[in-house]
Amino acid sequence: MDAASNDPQAAYRAYGPALVRKAERILRSREDASDVVHALFVDLIPTWTSAVDLPYLYRAITNRCLNVVRDRGTRARLLARDGAAAAPVGRVTLEDEVVGIGLLAALADRLDDAHMQVLIGRFVDDMTQEELAEHLGVSRKTIGKRLDRIREAVIELRGGGEVAS
Amino acid sequence: MSALACTGEPVSWLRLERFAAGAKDAAIAEHVAACAACRACLDEITGDLVALPPLAVPASTPARRWIGWLAPALAVAAAAAIAIVVLRPEPETREDIAYVKGVGEVVLGVVRERGGVVRDDALTFAPGDRWKIVITCPPGASTRVEVGVTDEHSGRVDHPLAPATLTCGNRMVLPGAFTLTGDYPSRVCVRVSSVDDAASACLTITPE
Repeated sequence: MDAASNDPQAAYRAYGPALVRKAERILRSREDASDVVHALFVDLIPTWTSAVDLPYLYRAITNRCLNVVRDRGTRARLLARDGAAAAPVGRVTLEDEVVGIGLLAALADRLDDAHMQVLIGRFVDDMTQEELAEHLGVSRKTIGKRLDRIREAVIELRGGGEVAS
Repeated sequence: MSALACTGEPVSWLRLERFAAGAKDAAIAEHVAACAACRACLDEITGDLVALPPLAVPASTPARRWIGWLAPALAVAAAAAIAIVVLRPEPETREDIAYVKGVGEVVLGVVRERGGVVRDDALTFAPGDRWKIVITCPPGASTRVEVGVTDEHSGRVDHPLAPATLTCGNRMVLPGAFTLTGDYPSRVCVRVSSVDDAASACLTITPE
């Protein structure tokens, strides 16, 4: 898939489906996921370089999806639709819960981008802590600290009865 | 929401995507063979067909040399404009576009998936390709869509997808996928209907 990195069109065709699936796991909507991926490529084209690879795009899509989740209007629409969507395949759980749009939305109000990147990488993308450290370019210890903070935030939420299931 | 138990450490979606795209990784192959949860995720990737909206890449823009060319370019543009007005040909009829009263302009598109690679600009088929129908029509409308595929050699018509009622929008994907076989072109048509009108849009897909 590396040859695709030189050409935005080729990269879009090669990586686009994987990115749509990733965005859909976060947003729980194929339509919104497709829009987010398309918008990312449109924005990247003017400054496209061969350094754009799938891991880079994975991180970029996480940021884009978090922006969508933080947008109050879009968030309400996604939350309303979430009940109609098929349950996600969850292999890594956070405090016994598969991370869905409800929990993401609640935590996005309490955690900064660095923690949300770890949250998505670990509990939505199912990365190991080592893989996540390499993916985000931070130490394994930093990942561990951020995961501790994420768990604290979930416990705080549950204490307040705000966690959406 | 329920969780599927992995037999060990789950293989991340990123690694599964690379594996599904052809990356060799014996550890993933071994794990997936033994783990139903990760195998289900891999199957989800390989069985998925994503219809991406078209991506327009703008032509690169020249630097400041345009200033010296401005006057002649304007003269050529003016001449071309006059020529277009005087010599304007009849508007081209596009078979992939239909106009339906009560719906508006309906544009037919197809998406081909071959070995995990999805293209929306392909009109040739080979054995094993999967095809999906995408329809673009004015948002707010809805229309009934029936798909017919005609073998241009035998004239036989198949209806590979169930008729569907579609809510209009940009590149809306019809449910289901189909394959094309044979050594002759296939004509893929959608009959689009509203309460009081109907029309067809078609594309021809040729074998490689």
